[in-house]
Amino acid sequence: MNSIDPLTGLLDRFGCLQTADRFTAASTHQPFAAIWVDLDRFKRINESFGHPGGDEVIKDLALRFRNRISGRAEIARMGGDEFVFLVPRCDRSAAEQLARELASTVGELIHIGNLTLCPTASIGIAIHDMEENSLALLERADRAMYAAKDKGGDGIVCSGDEPIPGRLGITLAREEISIESTLHAALETGGLCLHYQPIILANGEIEAVEALMRCQVDGENLSPGKFIPVAEKTGLIVRLGEWSLLQGAMQARLLQDAGYHTKVAINVSRAQLVSPKFTQALHAALICSNVKPELVELELTESLFMDISDTVQANLKNALSAGVSLSIDDFGTGYSCLANLKDIPAKKLKLDRAFVTVLPEDRRALAVVRAMTQLGHELGMTVVAEGCERQEEIDALLDAGVDAIQGFFYARPMPEDKLFQWLQTRNTK
Amino acid sequence: MNDAMPDSTLSEVDNLLERSILDVGIPPCPLILDRFITEARRDEPDFSRLASIIGSDVGLSAGLIKTANSPFFGMRQRVRSVNEALAILGLKTASRAVAGLILRKAFPNVPNLERFWDASARIAHLSGWLAQHFDIRGLRAEDTYTFGLFRDCGIPVLLGRFPQYEKVLAEANNDAVRSFIAVEEAALPTNHAMVGCILAQSWWLPEEICLAIRNHHDLVALESLGSSLPMQSRRLIATAQLAEHIVQRESGLSLTQEWTKLGSACLKILELDEAQLEALYIEAAAIAAAVE
Repeated sequence: MNSIDPLTGLLDRFGCLQTADRFTAASTHQPFAAIWVDLDRFKRINESFGHPGGDEVIKDLALRFRNRISGRAEIARMGGDEFVFLVPRCDRSAAEQLARELASTVGELIHIGNLTLCPTASIGIAIHDMEENSLALLERADRAMYAAKDKGGDGIVCSGDEPIPGRLGITLAREEISIESTLHAALETGGLCLHYQPIILANGEIEAVEALMRCQVDGENLSPGKFIPVAEKTGLIVRLGEWSLLQGAMQARLLQDAGYHTKVAINVSRAQLVSPKFTQALHAALICSNVKPELVELELTESLFMDISDTVQANLKNALSAGVSLSIDDFGTGYSCLANLKDIPAKKLKLDRAFVTVLPEDRRALAVVRAMTQLGHELGMTVVAEGCERQEEIDALLDAGVDAIQGFFYARPMPEDKLFQWLQTRNTK
Repeated sequence: MNDAMPDSTLSEVDNLLERSILDVGIPPCPLILDRFITEARRDEPDFSRLASIIGSDVGLSAGLIKTANSPFFGMRQRVRSVNEALAILGLKTASRAVAGLILRKAFPNVPNLERFWDASARIAHLSGWLAQHFDIRGLRAEDTYTFGLFRDCGIPVLLGRFPQYEKVLAEANNDAVRSFIAVEEAALPTNHAMVGCILAQSWWLPEEICLAIRNHHDLVALESLGSSLPMQSRRLIATAQLAEHIVQRESGLSLTQEWTKLGSACLKILELDEAQLEALYIEAAAIAAAVE
């Protein structure tokens, strides 16, 4: 029988040790992690609201942890404002991911009376090293937590990293937490929007516009290169992706109503496509926007094709049945798997910008572009080159057989009103 | 082209605009309509505020732009934004059309919608009262009100798009075994909870409300320990479900099987037992009846 903390219903210190012992005994082949979480400046909460107020915060937090962690770890309250998470089958990167989730859970607002608190935590991680006993493991996690606290709190430190201040990993974790909270703020305050970049056919016609997500909070722009990876790590990408499905489809509908038959290409992440709910979400967006489905295109990241599960296959098939078209983004650099290419019912292949920037000088790159273009054509696809900025690049690409061009040379990504203006000046109806 | 137009032209514009807004098929967010009507009823309405209210709604915005771009106006240049659409139509014209639609409860153009919004309003009102009455952990009355109002906003959208949906809806309401969503998905490629969630996201509603809309018929998400559904969303779902149960019990109308399927999970979330529920029936009846 485990020993339980009466305030929170979580394991208490003794229960934590018992569980860690059990894990240690079983961990001969599987590493497990201890994550030590300590609230920053909790004393001030107790001083301001008294101990009953502090207890409320602890109870609330315990509940949040339990909901967020949902069976992935054993949770213990070590007393005061300290929690320990024992995570089975967990390596360092999984532990860091979980620690970030815990940090964002702590960072949700807490309401006490009329006041709203925005707590932070210092978090220490230790991975069981197979030799040590459970007490030694917990001590390492505790020390790592104190190292995080010494850096000013609101951060994550992995045991073994403590003596080296300012390491990139640590700074990054902190920055990621701050980006994640900015993204949450953007989702609640309408800080997201889509910008659109045209894709131009060789004859000058507009083939489509790609919808690119932008995030702005308190007047500050967050670069997609920063917030998209964080959104992918934290799972927020699904919500962002669903939001852009409807906005993108709505934009296609507005273009349709304005008399333009221009497709809107919407980026879809791997996390969305591996979900069995993707088909319903896509249909919901099509239904709400009432757009002709052929005016919507889904851009799939090439990394999706490393491993195409049955769910992904079904989602792609359903998307095609719904009438939307598919394109493969960033082709040729990452996880290109030609064997999978034949199984993907995409109509468009977008060559990665890495091939473009070295043109026309790099003859070998040009040969690869020519071969990929031919391959795309053989598979019945339109081939697009991304990231084109110079006339010489475009000449070389068109000469290699590429069908369409996307890049600053023609237009930068632009907000909706600028897009309409731009379309007008080109008189492209 | 603005409010200096002759009356006959104005009424034609009114009709056109109404039709466009309805045709876009996204029911405007009821809260936005509330804000709109509050502003429009002032002695001296603030027109820039009215414009921004209309502009903050996907359905209304799309309707305005569609109208301004219709051949009726024969504009050479296409309208690019809500503000431009308003400049062409005139804010007064646009406001009058929107207000007209609100008064006729015409969103969207499908049968029985009035009853639908009425039911939503009752459930929303009673949910708000329940949240206050029980002081449910961390729930704010206005959030439970909002959730109650929007919980089923996917239904009118689907009614507007699929002629057979009314039948599906009846079947889902009567099915005591399969989940509501399962019945919908047997007939359609999506379900009203997903449609509602996507809409709510586009209205920038808070995450826990969006998730509650998405999962409000999902027993597993409601009661399983491993569920990733935030507790706050579960409380919203449970409160509105209890409100619906009380409203249906009182009115004897629109009976569904949801309480049979989800009731005990909801009571558990709200930490209520049967005896407390009996007492609540009596107390809440008056509140439920008061919403007209």
